Amino acid sequence: MSAPIIEMTNVNKWYGTYHALRNINFTVNEGDKIVVCGPSGSGKSTMIRTLNYLEAHQEGTIRVNGTDMHPRMKDVDKVRMDVGMVFQHFNLFPHLTILENLMAGPMWVRGIAQEEARKTAMMYLERVRIPEQADKYPGQLSGGQQQRVAIARSLCMKPKVMLFDEPTSALDPEMVSEVLDTMVSLAKDGMTMVCVTHEMGFAKAVADRVIFMDEGSIVEENDPINFFENPQSKRTQNFLSQILQH
Amino acid sequence: MKLNRRIFTFATGVALALSSSVSFAGEAMDRVMSTGTLKVATDANWAPQSFLNDENKMDGFDVDVAREVAKRLGVEVEFVTPSWDIITAGNWNGRWDLSVGSMTPTKARAEVLSFPAVYYYTPASAAVHKDSSAESVSDLNGKNVGASTASTFNLYLQKDLTIDAEGTPSFEYKISPSEIKSYQDDTAVMDDLRLGDGVRIDGMVGSLPAILEGIKNNYPLRVLGDPVFYEPLSLAIDKGDAEFNDKLAGIVSEMRSDGTLKTLSEKWYGIDYTTAIE
Amino acid sequence: MLFADTVVGDTGVHKPKVILIMVVVATVIFTLLGLNDTIFGEIMRPVIGEPKESGLFGNLSVGFVLAIILVINIVLIGFLPFRYQVIVVWLQLLALFLTFFYSFDLKIEFIRSKIWFMITQGVFTTLYISAISIILASFVAIFGAIAKLSSNGFAFAIASFYTSFFRGLPLLMQLYLIYLGMPQLGYVIDAVPAGILALTLCYGAYMTEIFRAGIQSINKGQWEASRSMGFGFGLTMRRIILPQAMPLIIPPTGNQFIAMLKDSSLVSVIGVWELMFLARTMGNKDFRHMEMLITAALIYWCLTMVLEFIQSRIERHYRTASH
Repeated sequence: MSAPIIEMTNVNKWYGTYHALRNINFTVNEGDKIVVCGPSGSGKSTMIRTLNYLEAHQEGTIRVNGTDMHPRMKDVDKVRMDVGMVFQHFNLFPHLTILENLMAGPMWVRGIAQEEARKTAMMYLERVRIPEQADKYPGQLSGGQQQRVAIARSLCMKPKVMLFDEPTSALDPEMVSEVLDTMVSLAKDGMTMVCVTHEMGFAKAVADRVIFMDEGSIVEENDPINFFENPQSKRTQNFLSQILQH
Repeated sequence: MKLNRRIFTFATGVALALSSSVSFAGEAMDRVMSTGTLKVATDANWAPQSFLNDENKMDGFDVDVAREVAKRLGVEVEFVTPSWDIITAGNWNGRWDLSVGSMTPTKARAEVLSFPAVYYYTPASAAVHKDSSAESVSDLNGKNVGASTASTFNLYLQKDLTIDAEGTPSFEYKISPSEIKSYQDDTAVMDDLRLGDGVRIDGMVGSLPAILEGIKNNYPLRVLGDPVFYEPLSLAIDKGDAEFNDKLAGIVSEMRSDGTLKTLSEKWYGIDYTTAIE
Repeated sequence: MLFADTVVGDTGVHKPKVILIMVVVATVIFTLLGLNDTIFGEIMRPVIGEPKESGLFGNLSVGFVLAIILVINIVLIGFLPFRYQVIVVWLQLLALFLTFFYSFDLKIEFIRSKIWFMITQGVFTTLYISAISIILASFVAIFGAIAKLSSNGFAFAIASFYTSFFRGLPLLMQLYLIYLGMPQLGYVIDAVPAGILALTLCYGAYMTEIFRAGIQSINKGQWEASRSMGFGFGLTMRRIILPQAMPLIIPPTGNQFIAMLKDSSLVSVIGVWELMFLARTMGNKDFRHMEMLITAALIYWCLTMVLEFIQSRIERHYRTASH
């Protein structure tokens, strides 16, 4: 039986007068793999960033791992430790080696001893299949390798849920698959995941649900089979026909 | 970016934390006796009164007098060398206890400082470059004359010199320069005058011993006529400690009567300047 | 170096027209200087007769000869490769300077007797005051920069007032304000701490901008990655942002240190026995100020050159080490 790890209820967000998120309601249960897609400017990145409070919402409630997210919350860092985030541009720490990137979080905020942090880090580096790069700096790695390191870095924090914000959009085409493979294997291991991505193949392969957003609203939410074969909304149909053309 | 308020409070506190060597002004006499040290302010650029000698230690007539005063107080002596205008400005706040710096006790200075005792008198003279055609002091009228800043020589040129110490010989203003140039110290005046007659200045007024010392060191200068005034030179202390004032007055009168002052004057100037000349 | 074009024309100073113009201009300048009663006129005596009486003819001849020597020198240097040009021009300028100093008729014996104290007392004091000040100024600058980037209006206001005030006043005035003003508030501050405080506050204000620019240059993604892993503000600043900003901060800070080394001479006015103070006072008794001033000048210069060399090393280190 799975419990909800993320609950968004009637969430609204504005940038000035621009209404970025309109009445968002959705729930992520433990073990769910959710893919969020939509045209650019649809609010999908904004939505995923509110989940660990990199962006603040103005109305509604966001509950993550049992904690309400709001501007005066005291222990935002505690929530964030349990929510891994992978960015479009990797955002590795360029002044630290790959291994140090992976050990930083566990040692500095989890208080894990150095030896143990190193063991965990090496384990996840094996997992993303680049243990031989441990002592290099991020700048010496390819984009695909860097994104895999970024995934491993999040995993080292032993998160309860992983958020992916367009993890393959900044990659050269030939590197997309190595990152997706990593994500697929992560999904197979039962990690709870929310992914903003346009990789429909990935959505078909692993998603429990696909969410389509447009103009700040959730337009359609369905299981992948129905989503792709039987889209309900006109806007979803348009979007799918555009990205599946080639 | 949010700022941790505590961090900032700390940042603003840095300025205060820096001033670690903080002390508060107290009674000078108590301070000297309790620390066992007499802190004396002198100029390090005023040979032969006070200067750095070959061993790079403070030396000179004023320095010897200060040493003797400390000895008679039964304490150690320590010299500090702030600039002259800072010494004469008063409000020492206990940074140092005493000035032995050949200071003339003018009325203006007496408002911020106390003068316990005059310990010698020096003639102030006008001087010119040796190529100058000037024959008497009045030949400097309408000329460009230099003197060190905040000095009695400068006040004399401004016709604004009042010396209210007892036994001060009277004097009259004999020079009306068109322009007065002010310098850091007497040496700087002489350095400008040596460049040539009228190159930067046409003449100067300064302490006769200093001018003579310069001439001895091949400065191409010439003393003009008789001294324009004699200035009594006194110890100075910050206002507000009568006990210290009286103690110092006693010591100086002792040094005068037992001949110590005369010996020191002859050692440094070759002349006894310690009694008023009429 | 600027962008070097791959098309190279004739060397400018080897064009006949340029050479001619240089000779004419130099002759005019040297003639106007009227050099016939100097050592140059003395050397030319066989040609121009009694230098003092040679008048315009003398001045013109001396000027022309000097101009020819100068231009030949320039033309010859034009043939050398870059590296040797630099060395030769440096040596010639240095020789000119030494001649200039030599013309003061300096007493080397006197300098020799004083220089050791100038170094042990003066250079030491100058260096330690500057070093302490630059370290403290760096701390002030970190907090100033954070405050200036802060969304807290109170912090921003104080930081911007501070930088505006201390960049707006002459350092000498700040020194007087601190040394003479603090006692009015009940804090009697000694000369050395007052000097350090003034230098710290003044340079802290300038360096606040350096630190601010350095911190701001770090990509926002670094903050997001750190914060999303649960790093607090202080931890992110200390372990992620500042280490990355350092390569941008340290080279200009080195420049500030070199500038401070010279500005620290201002504390001589409140009686600190640093290099400048000794330069002004040590020659006093013997009336040998030029000796002391020139010695101190050369010491400052040497110190600066050493520091500039270290500085260029640091800059190169950070240029190559930026991953």
